[in-house]
Amino acid sequence: MAEMWISMGPQHPMTHGLWTLKVKVDGETVVDTEPDLGYIHRGVEKICEARDFTQITTYCDRLCYASANTWSHSYIYAAEDLLEVEVPERAEYIRLVAIEIQRIASHLMWLGAYGPDIGNLSVMVWCLREREMMMDLLQELGGSRMHYNFPRVGGVKRDLPHGFAQRARAKLKLFLNRIQEYEALFDESTVFLVRSQGVGYAKPEEMVNHGVTGPNLRAGGVNYDIRWAHPYSVYSELDWEPPVERSSIKGADCYDRYRVRVEEMRVSASLALQALDKMPGGADTHHEPGDPMILAKAPTRAPEGTTGAHHFEDSRGESMFYIAGGGEGRGKQPYRVSIRSPIFITIPFAAKCMIGYKVADIPAIMGSFDPCIGETDR
Amino acid sequence: MGKIVPIKTQRAEAEKLAAAISEIDGVKAEVAERACGTNPRPVVLGNSSPESWRALAETLHSEHGVDYCSMVTGVHWPEGDGDKKWEVVYHLMRTGIRNPPIEDGLVQPVIVDPSTVEGSDTPLELELHVHLPDTRTPSVDSVQDIWLGADWNEKETWDLVGIDFDGHQGMRRVLQPHETPKGFHPLQKQHRLRYHSFQDMYDDSQGFMRKPADAGKIK
Repeated sequence: MAEMWISMGPQHPMTHGLWTLKVKVDGETVVDTEPDLGYIHRGVEKICEARDFTQITTYCDRLCYASANTWSHSYIYAAEDLLEVEVPERAEYIRLVAIEIQRIASHLMWLGAYGPDIGNLSVMVWCLREREMMMDLLQELGGSRMHYNFPRVGGVKRDLPHGFAQRARAKLKLFLNRIQEYEALFDESTVFLVRSQGVGYAKPEEMVNHGVTGPNLRAGGVNYDIRWAHPYSVYSELDWEPPVERSSIKGADCYDRYRVRVEEMRVSASLALQALDKMPGGADTHHEPGDPMILAKAPTRAPEGTTGAHHFEDSRGESMFYIAGGGEGRGKQPYRVSIRSPIFITIPFAAKCMIGYKVADIPAIMGSFDPCIGETDR
Repeated sequence: MGKIVPIKTQRAEAEKLAAAISEIDGVKAEVAERACGTNPRPVVLGNSSPESWRALAETLHSEHGVDYCSMVTGVHWPEGDGDKKWEVVYHLMRTGIRNPPIEDGLVQPVIVDPSTVEGSDTPLELELHVHLPDTRTPSVDSVQDIWLGADWNEKETWDLVGIDFDGHQGMRRVLQPHETPKGFHPLQKQHRLRYHSFQDMYDDSQGFMRKPADAGKIK
């Protein structure tokens, strides 16, 4: 049969955003793919060159609408490396709580979107129900629902509000119980199992060579995690293990990538609970904004020749910022900010993964890698 | 308590790697310390001449187990030193990841205990700089075939900064529209934002009115 190119996107339920996947098909079988990105390229890297170090945080929040907090923290760690700031320990614990709650919210958004992708329509509302609890917690911390602008160079914007610890513990424990509901919804849904099992195989060594990390890699049966390999924050103080999935002989399929994210939500909830328990000074005390317990003094200028870089375990893989100091205003602004987006690197790999499968498998494979186009196009 | 890679192991491995690659002609490497929050972490910080970059990359991949290319960054330094008008920064990593073994027809997940890793399995972080002299067509050897993760990173670097990669297959615009004029690379320093600074943006009493110079212009 003659081969032909068809274009999926930029508006297509499979894309989870705006991008095009050009697919070469032979009948129903995919024989070649080519992703085409850049539909919402905003030039964040260029804008950052004209903003000072505090202003950039808001732009980094807006890189990914499903996981804003992890992105602004990713930037803040690189900026602190550049400006040589030592962060108070209490601030590190508060950040860890914020990051892990955001990770749960991000995975819930993914789970809610992935169900309808492959025919299980009811999970969407179930996942958004719990995501709402996480958003409420983050709103208490940052003050807004999606883009929190929570971390500051040298600490955090605000301390935990009064009563936050109690509400967070109650909600996280409730959430840990409710994870079983999702598992029941997915694992007993025939349409989900049929469409996610046995498609989109990927092996760990291949994924590392392609630059794919995070949950997608751990689904392949290795426990690599930036949080222990290049430690930052206070993860060394807490008791945790990155979740690993036992994949099939051919590698991790879409079902493994779903399992590993569900397990990761459990680990994140436990991390947040532990951090609340171990918080220096106690989780029930409250300091005013700007208190040295939660915010260290930070210089505003980075002289020429200084650089800052930080690898960060984002909800979707390894995110990274590289900042060169010495921009305008005698280093008040960065000279160059470079952003590594995990999904920008994963999309070409995911597109390769679907070669050999049927056209109907494309949404299942693409969705399982958790694409977020906001961070991809920057 | 949480298991992390001990900083001592990581530093010893980083020093070994830095000493080994410093023996290549045109390569200088040392162990630097980067801080994040409260903990410092060792990084292999290197400098390579453009001629020896390809050889260095091959050595790193085949002999030192550097299996992961995190990011490729291009920087334009129009006012830099004579041989540093352009810079390419490679962030590489050694992850030590192997495919999990298969026993009795079942995959056995690899659970590395970070506190006991040693030798070539220790995760490492590398940052390598390649400086390019003043030229209108900056280019450096491609490493697309060594780390497939560098493929789209290189495409992006060419698209936004204009540094070309010799031997790169299928170079094209990835973030900008395909019909972008040839030679336009927005992260080069001669291009400035329309409202460059905060003051330019909000220099009127209302804060949101357009500047007089903009009157009649199509935004």
